[in-house]
Amino acid sequence: MGIAVETAVNQSAIAIAGCGAVCATGLGMEPLQHAVAANASALQRRELVIGKTSQPIVAGFVADEIIGKLRAADAAHADSRAFLFTSAALKEAANNAATILDFVPANRRGFVLSTTKANIEALDKLVRQQPVSAVAQRQIQPAFLAADLAAAFACCGPVQCVSAACISGLSALQQGAALIRRGLADVIFVVGVDVISQFVLSGFNALKSLDPDGCRPFDQARLGLSLGEGAAAIVLAKRELLSSPAILISGAGTSNDANHLTGPSRDGSGLALAIQRALAKAQIAPGQIDYVHAHGTGTPYNDAMESLTLRAVFGDHVPPFSSSKGIFGHTLGTAGVLETALCVAALKNNFLPGTPRLRERDPVAPDSLLVEPREEANLNCILKINCGFGGTNAALVLERELP
Amino acid sequence: MESLIEELKAKIIAGFNLEGVTPADINPDEPIFGTGLELDSIDALELVAILESDYGIVILERSVADKAFASLRALAGFVAANRT
Amino acid sequence: MNDLAIHAASYLGPEGFGNDLSGLRAWPSPLKENLSRGELDGLHWSLLSASDPSRFLRMDLMCRLGFMAAELLAVNFDTLTAARREHLGVCVECFTGSLDTDIRFAQTPRPSIFAYTLPSTVIGEICIRHRLKGPVLSLISPDTDGANLLGEAAEWLRAGDAEMVLCLGIEAMNVSTANSISLPENLFPRGWHGAALLLGRPENSPREKTFATGRLLEVCRNLCSVPEHAC
Repeated sequence: MGIAVETAVNQSAIAIAGCGAVCATGLGMEPLQHAVAANASALQRRELVIGKTSQPIVAGFVADEIIGKLRAADAAHADSRAFLFTSAALKEAANNAATILDFVPANRRGFVLSTTKANIEALDKLVRQQPVSAVAQRQIQPAFLAADLAAAFACCGPVQCVSAACISGLSALQQGAALIRRGLADVIFVVGVDVISQFVLSGFNALKSLDPDGCRPFDQARLGLSLGEGAAAIVLAKRELLSSPAILISGAGTSNDANHLTGPSRDGSGLALAIQRALAKAQIAPGQIDYVHAHGTGTPYNDAMESLTLRAVFGDHVPPFSSSKGIFGHTLGTAGVLETALCVAALKNNFLPGTPRLRERDPVAPDSLLVEPREEANLNCILKINCGFGGTNAALVLERELP
Repeated sequence: MESLIEELKAKIIAGFNLEGVTPADINPDEPIFGTGLELDSIDALELVAILESDYGIVILERSVADKAFASLRALAGFVAANRT
Repeated sequence: MNDLAIHAASYLGPEGFGNDLSGLRAWPSPLKENLSRGELDGLHWSLLSASDPSRFLRMDLMCRLGFMAAELLAVNFDTLTAARREHLGVCVECFTGSLDTDIRFAQTPRPSIFAYTLPSTVIGEICIRHRLKGPVLSLISPDTDGANLLGEAAEWLRAGDAEMVLCLGIEAMNVSTANSISLPENLFPRGWHGAALLLGRPENSPREKTFATGRLLEVCRNLCSVPEHAC
């Protein structure tokens, strides 16, 4: 199991200095945490035209009011919601990390973007011969979106962009941590973004992957996923830059199932492998995990597969686990970063998230599935997992230092 | 009906990139998604999309699709009855 | 960067295709800027006579290029042990990513195309084909020559995350697709190529003293242009 870790290599954990978010719950980490505490869903039903037919779609939309506010504050990027969302999330995260950022010069700040489709809305417009600003067109290319954001936030260090389907977020966090560990930066801004677009809606709709009434992760009668949009940002930093007990990324791992491209026959062994790799890096045993934040999209296959994985990794002692996609939907490239930010908040508040929109638990899911959220005094180590299209899997271990 | 069956064969061969398969190779009375043509679940969805774009037929229920895809002959009957 | 030993290299581009053992061969008929999917079919059949072509026929241009680059490597993945393949990492880097396919999908949305509107799908296709379960990484960069891949591979090998790494540099942007929505050339370069490099630690290298350094595309082109066994 796992790979032997070279003891000569510096395996120092990387600290989390600040988080920011904008999604269906609103602008900021605060409304997100309120939604978690209330176990509330922010999914909405809207009548949308997909292709030629109009149909009701339940998804995690960012409120029009927030979009209007962001546009008003940044007219130059009015038609690039991808930029507006990332900018907002980064501002909040940078604000929360202000005390340490003051000491980090621009050439020691790096940037990692996570996205599946960047400013794809501009492509939707171009194929319909609708006008698109030069900046919005440029930001169809994830590399340019990353460069523009890095410049806007004075990051002159390494800039990377990860585009790996639904594991992009965790992969980006892993890359950010690695860049710091390799000495290439002292601080890395990691930001994930994706927007709900004709492009993505028509694709998931054609694959019949959407639940017409909204996703119900780990529910016995679940029918599919709900899309979500938004951005989330996490500022990673060298541990030495923080004075107080920090929340750390102590391990990460990825894998491929090498099984089937579109998913149905996944037996969970690929995800289990990614988890084992992350645990090995963190040098912790499965028994030390206090809580698992699942991928939990609400598709029949994914949630069943994750249940298998949890049993394979944890045996009879599966820790409490839940899925938050009932709150804000499947935010694709944003998911790994948003859901990790949510886990950071959970560690800070000693609070375990529940699984919103779950009515009747799937009997196949391990008993420790949390339907309702609750306080938890013994919360120090969280495992975050995501699975992606193409059989990819990723896992991240978060630990809270003891004072 | 026969010409519609031939038309559907051509669309299936083109739509699923079935290189080397000729219309004569497809038995109109065998299940479309049996083992013969090695089609998978994405191909089934692709066929649903083709029915919508080429014949204006929108399939929302899995059971409707299952019946329509029982064979090429069944599909032709379904298309003839529901095309717009 | 003397830690990166080359096990095999391959390249496909307008000028030809091949690997580091047999060098570059010219295409049967000259391929230009507009590479259609069909033009890769002939090559595929000659290399994969025993295997199931159905997956290949469904792939988009980017996946076909990556898939073929992996196939062209003078390495038989089947001879690697399961343990080796479990710790074989795959990383891909590109600039235009899946944009060619994205444009086609946006113009004609079809479920079979949607799976390929992600630059990381090629990793899935290759891992399925060769049963590789190692770490994965999919990067988009403003360079078309795989500038970061060797650094990432070196890091995986140094940290023990992988025993071998398959690096892929792929660009796939047809002139007609980009022109169809008037994308400016300076921001959306046209052109296509596929390059693959299989790397490992020096002690495991089958070659005498070939070390990798620099950008992937240059390394692959050089190795395939000056082959070990000129034919």
